[in-house]
Amino acid sequence: MSSRIATCLRYVSIMGLIAGIGFAQTETPDFTGIWTNYAGGPRGRGQAGPDLPLRDEAQAKVAEYRALVSPLGETPGGYCLGTGMPGSMLGSGGYPMEVIQRPDQITIVYEAHNEIRRVYFGDRIILEGDRVPERNGYSTGRWEGDTLIVETTQLKEQVNQRYAHSDRASIVERYTLTEEDGRKVLTAEMTMTDPDFYTEPVSDVKRWSIIPNGFLMTYECNEPIWQNRLEELRAAAETSTQ
Amino acid sequence: MERPVMNPIRGAFAGMILVLAGVSGVFAHHSAAAMDFNNTVEMEGVVQKLEVVNPHLTLVLQVTDERGVRDIEFEGHSRNNVYRSGWRPDMIEFGDRIKVTIAPMRDGSEGGYVTAFETESGNRVGR
Repeated sequence: MSSRIATCLRYVSIMGLIAGIGFAQTETPDFTGIWTNYAGGPRGRGQAGPDLPLRDEAQAKVAEYRALVSPLGETPGGYCLGTGMPGSMLGSGGYPMEVIQRPDQITIVYEAHNEIRRVYFGDRIILEGDRVPERNGYSTGRWEGDTLIVETTQLKEQVNQRYAHSDRASIVERYTLTEEDGRKVLTAEMTMTDPDFYTEPVSDVKRWSIIPNGFLMTYECNEPIWQNRLEELRAAAETSTQ
Repeated sequence: MERPVMNPIRGAFAGMILVLAGVSGVFAHHSAAAMDFNNTVEMEGVVQKLEVVNPHLTLVLQVTDERGVRDIEFEGHSRNNVYRSGWRPDMIEFGDRIKVTIAPMRDGSEGGYVTAFETESGNRVGR
């Protein structure tokens, strides 16, 4: 009898150990929350600026774009268009972001322009041929210990942001969680590789601080454009009845 | 009519000014380079129009000074940004007299970028 009990106890112990190992392997940092720009020191801005290793053809595209928009300070945001990657994760206008974490998907909502990124894991990842190019691309995630690795491809060519890129760009972000003075800090190291636009990879670092009990606002932006259109329609209708 | 100012994230309004050059979302009509953010000035006027929307607000003030009485249109931060700096929907209404701090146009033309405003009862948004 005592032998059976001992065997049972050993079995329970082994199962508990296995379960414990399994738990330890699947437990990941929780990034869920509302985050704002880190204010505790340098955010570690990268190499954006004149030193970017742009190829000549890419440089010409960027210069043409800037010459077009600079005189009036025109921007995509002025027309309610989101930044797209990597601008959305590097700044997004200084507005906060919300992270909602599930084991199979991490959803990132940038308040500015309601930009949303979905990072898929495992079986949620669809075939490359089924993905549609977007300004924020298609993102997949995996964990290396406590570090979240996000890879983004299927981007559209964009010359209208800090790190211009072609549609062949791929972006890797490495997210880590630390704590400073009792407050969570999220750090993302971004590296973009783009053989069409750059002679070598470019990189940057972005840091956020948690906002306890924070909230995101809806970024309604198109309504004035629609109201203006209604005014145009009213004016046209009045003209036609005269 | 006015509520006490509640400010979830103090300083957000001012902080936005620092990143204007790199922010596409808040600056539609004029380049940041067109305004002088290092030499802000204060003005007073009567509100003729205030549209607090994204990507940026529009304020029209009736101003009276040595040049006469006229309406001047200003731009400002987004609805979301001024909300976080303390603005609330019933804080300012048509006909209210308010003080504004503006980054003036570099070319001397009228208008500019509203960096802060203050109601007659002392509620202040931005700085």
